[in-house]
Amino acid sequence: MEETATQEFLHNLRTLPHSVKEACFRLGKAPESEREESQATFHNLFLHIHSVRVHLRTLSPTLTFGLGLMATASFVLTLITGVLLMVYYKPSTDLAYQSIKDIHFAVFTGRFIRNIHRWAAQFMVVVVLLHMARVFFTASYKKPREFNWLVGLGLLVITLALSFTGYLLPWDQLAYWAITIGSNIANSPRELTDAIGITKYFDPGGFQKRLLLGANYVGQDALIRFYVLHVFVLPLALVTLLGVHFWRIRKDGGLAKPEDPMGGLAEWGGERRPVFEPLATKTYGLMALVKGQRPPVNRGPENTVMSWPRLFWAELSVFMLTVATTLILAFYSDAPLKELANAAIPENPAKAPWYFLGIQELVSYSAFTGGLLIPVIVVVGLALIPFLDRRAGGEGTWFGTKSERAVFWQSFLFALAVTAGMLAFTVNYGWLRNWSPNIHQLWIIVINPGSLLVVIFAGWSILILRRKNSVRLAAVSLFTCFLVGFILLTYFATVHRGPNWHFYWWPSQWPIH
Amino acid sequence: MNDPSRFYRWLLLVGSLVTIAYLAGAAVHENYLAQWKTVQREYRDILRQKTADDRGRELLSKFRIEMKQVSIPALGAVDRCVTCHNGIDDPRVTDAALPHRTHPGHLLDKHPVDRFGCTVCHHGQGAALTFQEAKAEDVYWDYPLLPPEMTEAACATCHDPEKLPSDQVPMLTLGLKLYKEKSCGSCHKLGGRGGTLGPALDNEGAKTRHQLIMTNVKPPYTTWNWQTAHFRDPGSIVRDSQMRNPTVTRGEALALTVLMLSEWRRDVPESYLAPDKIDQKHRDLHPIPLTGEQVYRQYCTACHGNGTYSRWDKKFGRFVPAVRGDSLVAGAPRDYLRTNIEQGRPGTQMPAWGPHAGGLHTEEITAVDEYLRAGARAAPPMPSLSLRGDSSRGLSLFLTNCAGCHGMHGRGGIAPEIGNPVFQQAATNEFIVRTIRNGRIRTAMPAFQRPEASALGDQDIADVLAYLRTLGENKNQSARTPGSTPPPPVGGKP
Amino acid sequence: MSRLDPPRINRRSFLSLASMGSFFAALGTAAAGMFRLPNPAVLPGPVRRFKLGPPEQFAAGSETAFAEQGLVLFRDDEGFYAISSTCTHLGCTVARSQDGFACPCHGSRFDNEGSVIGGPAPRPLPWLEVSRVANGDLVVNADSEVPEGTRYRV
Repeated sequence: MEETATQEFLHNLRTLPHSVKEACFRLGKAPESEREESQATFHNLFLHIHSVRVHLRTLSPTLTFGLGLMATASFVLTLITGVLLMVYYKPSTDLAYQSIKDIHFAVFTGRFIRNIHRWAAQFMVVVVLLHMARVFFTASYKKPREFNWLVGLGLLVITLALSFTGYLLPWDQLAYWAITIGSNIANSPRELTDAIGITKYFDPGGFQKRLLLGANYVGQDALIRFYVLHVFVLPLALVTLLGVHFWRIRKDGGLAKPEDPMGGLAEWGGERRPVFEPLATKTYGLMALVKGQRPPVNRGPENTVMSWPRLFWAELSVFMLTVATTLILAFYSDAPLKELANAAIPENPAKAPWYFLGIQELVSYSAFTGGLLIPVIVVVGLALIPFLDRRAGGEGTWFGTKSERAVFWQSFLFALAVTAGMLAFTVNYGWLRNWSPNIHQLWIIVINPGSLLVVIFAGWSILILRRKNSVRLAAVSLFTCFLVGFILLTYFATVHRGPNWHFYWWPSQWPIH
Repeated sequence: MNDPSRFYRWLLLVGSLVTIAYLAGAAVHENYLAQWKTVQREYRDILRQKTADDRGRELLSKFRIEMKQVSIPALGAVDRCVTCHNGIDDPRVTDAALPHRTHPGHLLDKHPVDRFGCTVCHHGQGAALTFQEAKAEDVYWDYPLLPPEMTEAACATCHDPEKLPSDQVPMLTLGLKLYKEKSCGSCHKLGGRGGTLGPALDNEGAKTRHQLIMTNVKPPYTTWNWQTAHFRDPGSIVRDSQMRNPTVTRGEALALTVLMLSEWRRDVPESYLAPDKIDQKHRDLHPIPLTGEQVYRQYCTACHGNGTYSRWDKKFGRFVPAVRGDSLVAGAPRDYLRTNIEQGRPGTQMPAWGPHAGGLHTEEITAVDEYLRAGARAAPPMPSLSLRGDSSRGLSLFLTNCAGCHGMHGRGGIAPEIGNPVFQQAATNEFIVRTIRNGRIRTAMPAFQRPEASALGDQDIADVLAYLRTLGENKNQSARTPGSTPPPPVGGKP
Repeated sequence: MSRLDPPRINRRSFLSLASMGSFFAALGTAAAGMFRLPNPAVLPGPVRRFKLGPPEQFAAGSETAFAEQGLVLFRDDEGFYAISSTCTHLGCTVARSQDGFACPCHGSRFDNEGSVIGGPAPRPLPWLEVSRVANGDLVVNADSEVPEGTRYRV
């Protein structure tokens, strides 16, 4: 019987829930076969960046500790909470502080949301740094992943820039003075140009500062610039680079891993599994082109599993772990908000956020060397690593090459001793200016505890290079030295520097004011 | 471990449950445990008990448990104090406990909450919703809640404190009186008038606690605790303080503290200013000249006492000269005092008091000059001095007789500096000679022409004078190259 | 099956269901909380109680429009009353017309007492509470409506 249009319409109406569900969830049910599992991965925008099958190593919690995912998760958290904060925040010097107070006191869950934003941001910085260390110590930057290492470096810089720009927005004392210092670090090339007397003709420092602040002081122009950077430019750049970063992971063949042994046997659940032998009656195609040196078919044990659902469990759990951690921190600890910004009363000490305190310690020796030269050397040095250390080996394994662990510990102790010694010396005996007040600034720019540390670390690394005859080991020693130096300086400036940047054993000894 | 995904599933379960728990915790915390909600429930119960008539029933039915605030854009205030102080303008709850009670007194009649808010008078953090944060003594906030007895300091924001009835602002009135009595203006500038030994006190009330060293103050670290402790004993609060102890009682110290807190030139819209405040602003710009005695009391007595004797000053470690009556005035040239007052005495603690320095008007300086000379007998005429002096001989005489008090090169010791240009210009030869000959009565300056062997003769005095006149020039040279001329050994007694 | 994969995960297992369930529950809770936030707990802006000056300055039978405050003050023999000039349709400010008030936006018309006589407005223009403060000035509370016909006697 021919169906009338009315009947068809009514039928469609009846089956509406079903057809909507079908349209949204194309499979309509949980995947039950491998084919459906691969489709579940492949046909979903958010999942399709994963390969359909992943190597078993990928699922090992101790290979990556989920650090990259944690960074992404905390970024997502800051993004969501950031949008919520934007609902109430007013980027004006007259209103900004009051609007943060309103968020703190009067907005439903405003204080909690702001705390989450702050903690997620801090967590992100920590995790991004750890992620970089993980990638370095598992030698995962090597060919073909050099480009992604560079992208990651860009992400690190943007993460720090996001933190820095976010610091000004509450317009409290902490914000005002930290940004005053920060913008004057941008101005610090003047220290060099003044010392050699060319500022009148060539003034990159002043240019940078004006670019950042739109004025010679931290005011409304600076606030709106930082706001635009913080809520639009930098997040957009970060999301874009993040996309590239993920895409490259996939294109570079997933996580770095050692070659599977030829003809070896994979282990799974205590039992050994035989080499994968393709059936003669079937054809096998790759679901995606990857850059691996050879497809695993017919070469070794089948060491991959379907991504769905195991990889997604793993990712989801790391995401929730991050959320839960951030929430706990946010519940018990309020994000700080000091007094309203006051250009007449400097904070003492005016400390930057903790992750910049290492740099602030260096800046206390020389603004140009510590604030600009050394950070630039570090970033350029990091960028060069994959291009200077090109010999394959050790990928995807913690301290993979021979005697790497030993070099790590030696460098660790060496850097610890040298940095601590340098700090102790500086605190006790001062530096060039204390000994000879009329010394030319150029000497201080060139010779200061910070630049000496860089030279000593470089020397140590060259020593390793020649003694061990390995570029990788030299890289490990240099990276370790800088990492330890960074951590120690950060700790030192956080705990042991008080008002007027004097040395104190504990903050409780600071004079009260 | 068999299947790592089992671990991940557990992790996901735990993570999600913890997330839910903390989200729920935050929701409960915000919605049910908020302090102000409890307070408003209590207030509603009080309203229920008080309800007797239709009006009361209407108020009760309109009362809703919700956040309340007074927003006054003109004052930049958003005060949520009324969220807990619900009955602040309801006369029925005068007997209720805090925070429900009506505002005491009749101040709200003229200062309605919806026009003035709360924090313009009481300070404190108006945005806060817990008492601890509103009080803001131990949170990051520049101006914590003023203690009730000090709240009157804020009246001066819109009123002239001198015109307010003293029974309404007893502390402020007492503070103003003490400020003049204790001659605070001798060392401190206020509104452009006063000495320079201490810091200027303009906008002292705007200071935050971070501008004061709290190390020696007992907590809580508020500016008023600092001020009160400092008025009781300046030296115990500020190390090496030059300020003499004003010797005030605790109550007087509080009054002076209130006065300091009232010194806050807040920018409030003109519509909020009382007419007398506008008069006060005008008066500050065009002050009514004080009488000589008033000037002396307010700006001189802290150092010079009543002026007829030279005073030994412990803090300065020197004598402060007598400036009144016969002692100085009788022998000094006509313009001597005037010049010293106008231009100060460089090298001593005496600042300049001219219109562009200490802020005294020309007529006030004339008045105080007259006040100081009043009643002084004119000195008997002195035989003219015709002897020529020898300055090198004068030097050795100066070293023997004068340097012990007046210092090497006359740079001042326990006696005043005499090399400075103002002295050199204002002091005539006659005045100097007379002073050396006869000394200065009621001061430590002895007469050097006496019937003794060691006394100075006319020629000696002429030599000393000649030497003294070289000091002005020498001083300039030695100032340019310090330490270039080693001081000769000191011999003899002063 | 030639491919020797690890055993398939049973999605119906308690652990799988519980973890997925709690994940979505957490997501839902968070979303609910997030939608609560943009709703302001307390409305910004000053109190809408307008002082209009001493009653003597308004003659009997006069009407005075206060454009900024959005109300018109009337005085007749029985006393004072104030009518809001904000249209009850979609909030435009109505203008005085010959027979009452007219809204320029969508053509609502009201009579002199504010009752609707045409157009889409669903309610008459509200009458506002008139009172006096301590010094005798008239005050209109634009946040408080009174029944039509209420007059304030001086």
